[in-house]
Amino acid sequence: MAGTIKLTVNGQALSLDADTHLTLLDLLRHRLGLNGPKYGCGMAQCGACTVLVDGAPARACVLRAVKANGASVTTLEGLPDTETGEMHPVQQAFDEKQAAQCGYCINGMIMNTVALLAHNPSPTDDDIRQAHRHHLCRCGTHLEIIAAVRTAAENLAAKTEEHAR
Amino acid sequence: MTDNHTSTLEIFRQVGAVRETFIRIDAAGQITAYNGHVDLGTGIEVALAQIVAEELNIPLDRVRVVLGNTEEVPDQGPTIASETMQITAIPLRKAAAQAHRQLLRLGALRLNAPEEDVTSTDGAVHWQAERCDYGTLIAGQEIALPLDLETPVKDPAHYQIVGTSAPRRDMMEKLTGQQLYVHDLDIEGMVHGHVIRPPYAGRDTGDFIGNSLIDYDASSVSGMDGLIDVVRIGDFLGVVAERPEQAQRIAEALDVTWRQPPPLPDLDDLVHSLKSHPSTPRALDRSGDFETGMAESAKTLARTYVWPYHEHGSIGPSCAVADWNGADPIVWSGTQSPHLLRADLAMLVDLPAETIDVRRYQVAGCFGRNCADDVCGDALLLSRATGKPVRVQLTRAQEHLWEPKGAAQIMEVEGGMTAGNDLHAYALDTWYPSNRGPNLALLLTGVISGEPRPADMGDRTSIPPYRVPHKKITVHDMAPIVRAAYIRGVSALPNTFAHESFIDEMAFEASEDPVAFRLRHMTDPREAELVRRTAEAAGWEKHDGPRFRREGRMAFGQGFAFATYVHGTFPGVAAASAAWVVDVSVDLESGVVTLHRVFVGQDQGLAINPDGVRQQIHGNVIQTAGRVLTEQVTFDEITPTPKSWATYPIQTFSEVPDIQTLIVSRPEDPPLGVGESAAVPSAAAIANAIFDATGVRMREAPFTPEAMRKALGNTDGPLRLQGQAEANDNGRRNKLLGWAGALAGALTLGAVSLPLHPPIQPSPAPKPGTFSAETLERGRQVFALGDCAICHTADGGLTNAGGRAMETPFGTVWTTNLTPDPDTGLGNWSYEAFSRAMRRGISRDGSHLYPAFPYTSFAKIGEEDMFALYAHLQTLEPVKAETPTAQMMAPVNIRSGMALWNAAYHDAAPFQPDASASEIWNRGKYLVEAAGHCSACHAPRNLLGAEQSLMTGTMVDGWFAPALQGTEAGARGWTADSLFAYLRTGLSDHAAAAGPMAEVVSSMTALPDDDIRAMSVYLASLIPPGAPTMHATPPSLAPDATHRIFESACAVCHDPAMPDLVTAARVPLAASAVLRAPTPEAFRSLLDQGIEAPVNLDLRDMPSFRNEFTSAQRDSLAAYMRARFAPDLPAW
Repeated sequence: MAGTIKLTVNGQALSLDADTHLTLLDLLRHRLGLNGPKYGCGMAQCGACTVLVDGAPARACVLRAVKANGASVTTLEGLPDTETGEMHPVQQAFDEKQAAQCGYCINGMIMNTVALLAHNPSPTDDDIRQAHRHHLCRCGTHLEIIAAVRTAAENLAAKTEEHAR
Repeated sequence: MTDNHTSTLEIFRQVGAVRETFIRIDAAGQITAYNGHVDLGTGIEVALAQIVAEELNIPLDRVRVVLGNTEEVPDQGPTIASETMQITAIPLRKAAAQAHRQLLRLGALRLNAPEEDVTSTDGAVHWQAERCDYGTLIAGQEIALPLDLETPVKDPAHYQIVGTSAPRRDMMEKLTGQQLYVHDLDIEGMVHGHVIRPPYAGRDTGDFIGNSLIDYDASSVSGMDGLIDVVRIGDFLGVVAERPEQAQRIAEALDVTWRQPPPLPDLDDLVHSLKSHPSTPRALDRSGDFETGMAESAKTLARTYVWPYHEHGSIGPSCAVADWNGADPIVWSGTQSPHLLRADLAMLVDLPAETIDVRRYQVAGCFGRNCADDVCGDALLLSRATGKPVRVQLTRAQEHLWEPKGAAQIMEVEGGMTAGNDLHAYALDTWYPSNRGPNLALLLTGVISGEPRPADMGDRTSIPPYRVPHKKITVHDMAPIVRAAYIRGVSALPNTFAHESFIDEMAFEASEDPVAFRLRHMTDPREAELVRRTAEAAGWEKHDGPRFRREGRMAFGQGFAFATYVHGTFPGVAAASAAWVVDVSVDLESGVVTLHRVFVGQDQGLAINPDGVRQQIHGNVIQTAGRVLTEQVTFDEITPTPKSWATYPIQTFSEVPDIQTLIVSRPEDPPLGVGESAAVPSAAAIANAIFDATGVRMREAPFTPEAMRKALGNTDGPLRLQGQAEANDNGRRNKLLGWAGALAGALTLGAVSLPLHPPIQPSPAPKPGTFSAETLERGRQVFALGDCAICHTADGGLTNAGGRAMETPFGTVWTTNLTPDPDTGLGNWSYEAFSRAMRRGISRDGSHLYPAFPYTSFAKIGEEDMFALYAHLQTLEPVKAETPTAQMMAPVNIRSGMALWNAAYHDAAPFQPDASASEIWNRGKYLVEAAGHCSACHAPRNLLGAEQSLMTGTMVDGWFAPALQGTEAGARGWTADSLFAYLRTGLSDHAAAAGPMAEVVSSMTALPDDDIRAMSVYLASLIPPGAPTMHATPPSLAPDATHRIFESACAVCHDPAMPDLVTAARVPLAASAVLRAPTPEAFRSLLDQGIEAPVNLDLRDMPSFRNEFTSAQRDSLAAYMRARFAPDLPAW
């Protein structure tokens, strides 16, 4: 069954024809050419496909596009500042800590970090490990990622302080 | 650009007709370096650039490195064995030095200076105050020099770039989604392939390989959206479609007949299976005389160590794009071995290798040979067949099942010591059933046969690094049992597990500290220094036996192991050496082994990029810790069983230890490979630490909690519930047989003298405008409340046109077409005929309907509502659709027999309100009992299929309709408010509608709130008062493989790490009706079907796990979840 889906993707309002079985991941990757989210398992097990739906993390491989109808979707590509092109503080922190090897999982790690810091701006190491416990990385970049999340929290806090001034 | 093209300085090597370039410098002074290896995610690109920039005295950002494209880079073999920096970087470094020398020469000429006096910095040649940059020096010239390997290179004492940490240059692209992985390519005109693999997943040996596809039925997919072609060559089968999701759907729908493959040897018993597999012993080290050495020994030991099969476990399943391009193919690939792949593809499609252009793109880290090459064969075959560029993306299950596994390995060690505790004799026999994994497309198409292909890769690091006068080291070369190929550490990791565990056992026998014992037997001073420095820096705690340090149920220990990773064909080449000190704890009750700290000392000679080296150590430790503690490929009779992370969990953030490193830098020594070395000592170090903590020797990996409990003699194992699940299954079958028998008896007795009902004459459909708008609206609501569309619409069929199969204990009956089509629907039905059918279960032609059609409830529908429903149906869009004939078992198939049944069980009396109750209550009762027909699903039926009087819950069509009355309904704590929320939205605080109930709620969105409220009030009145009891304390379950399935497959949504995860379940499992059903049948239905929630409700989906588990895994998971989340109920 096909129908029209309205989505705001990385700030852009879209109206798309899609059948009710199409996953948000397939729509983003194959229709919109957004390659930040990755296909890893199709079963919500690894987290490589994570996007933000109305600011909350979602496993796009098990979320049908039709179920996100009307929502605002943010992908890895949508994180940098639209005006300056500057990377999001979380992306900058991952760069600073060199927190990727092959980088295939890193989309999920970054998106989940953005979601985590939104409701826990100063997570402990244990909070970080818990928050990422359903995100898989085979290269073993975990320690660099934990360090990057810590740094991201610090960078964001500094930025907020700057704003406040 | 023309200038750039004609102005070059190039260093090349001529190999036959092929000219291989190593360095090219252009007029802009940009350096391009070419290397035949590929970046597997380890960051070799920047390290190679550092080497080139260093020799050329040019900033790092002016050097670009091209890796792995067959048209551009030298053939330097596969990227394996940590060779890139150690071996393949050598000619590149020489080429850079040679180019630099040439630039100095040109600079001297240009600046009119003596050649020996000019210098270079920052990409320019200097003499006194003058300078000339590299680009200018070569402007207008085309200089090409053959590589001179005798060129002197820079003295490491003067290094400024090499030896300093440099960030990776692909980082920003990866962090912003701009890095193009092979998965992300979109080639113009590209279409999508999906392969259908044979049932012999993960096998490559036997005459059934390439020979098992009996037939496929193209008509089963003809007309499906997007279909371009179905391609079959031998056992190779694939479909091509316009879009990827279409290709997958078509592939899954294609009807294929395969021959059943022969069974595997019993891979639960690795020692027997590997040792009895055909093999050829190869003597590797026979120094001294082992037998005499043993005879002379005062103490001897013989031990067997067992290593399991592993998955490479790339996070991204393999993908490739191929364009046949008129027999001049281009293949976009994530291969680890571009030139070997090109040769395989050439054989596959019978073209000269040079015609194939393999373009290497980044992929998910592979750590050895996964399906990256196989999928290139798939894509190329599909592109050749269709003439279009074809992308093939393997599924997670295809990757897991088919990737050549990291092989299991058996190591038998025998050794002896003198009375003075000196190692005197040492024998290792090692069995490693692996080769390099022939390309799957070659096997499936029959281009190569499934003959056994033994390889010689079991000999890596087979010689222990200790002084032993009498040695007998033997590798048993053998072919794979299941597809197997190299994975990080190859056979060296298991061989070292044996060496370094055994040496620990010997140290214990000698009552000596294990590090001191090793040092006493080491011969290489550099290795000894690493061991000493690592032990010291890590704070090694000397001990000469297990210390049994305890805190409550936890035992703590420290372990040591060391290895120099020797790779390549025997005697091989040494890469970096690494030593581990690991601190562990063992939970003596649960058996969980936790790594608290891993300290790794590593000597890799010159560390080109120290941060890169450190990151490789981290990666090796974390990945290998998962392999040692948890990972293990399991098998059924025919194939490997893991199809996802559910049954092959890998390391997670929760388990990652603290890692400390000691990078012993030796700038004066050549760089040694660091990609694998830190993995090699892992298993032995952990086993040795467990021994220190518990006195228990783990000689078989993985050290799972259940293996640890067994080794500790802790017999309070995991729940054993599998047998009970089977018993329940049998019980259900017996019940069904009983039903059928009783019904048969009843019908046989009464079938003779039953009245036949007269048909009612056809009556043309009422004219448009016959019914008022109010009547039609009321009809639409009754239609929605009755969920008519749900049962009267087939899966994927036209709405209300019938054809949905209703499985009853007595056979299958198909629902009828409700649309006003005159031939196949209700177009010729008068209201009289309709009302008779609804109230008495008699069709217009006089035949009886089966009570799968709930006329027993519908009889209670009021006259006004019944007419409104009729009106609504008569205004539907007519659709022509024949109803299939019911397939009922005799004698139920005699429809007239249903008259007797009606006489016994059907009360056609209209609904009677209870005058003593409220209006809303009566309204609710009417809605529930009449059109709502809730009892049709929620009331158990007797042996003759008639509803019992109370809705105490029952199974329907594989789903569980939970109790709406009785104690179990009370246990779930329903109230009128929670019922209202649930019936209105599908979601209450403790229930989410799934399966058929979700469709019911979806249908009921047509009803006004008042009706929903009325039903809630009535239903709440049926529930006995009292507190809910379902939240009982769960038992403590010992972690095992089933627990790991839950944690890796279920917990992400049912115990989410992020509170607002959009795809998480909204209701806790402790409230799940499915887990509170009397049998696991509904649980199995849910696993199989998943949840695809109605679009008009804000309910969430659940993926189907139909193909995820073996039946044993499914049963264990059911038992586990019942025990954990419904502990107040009897076990399954």
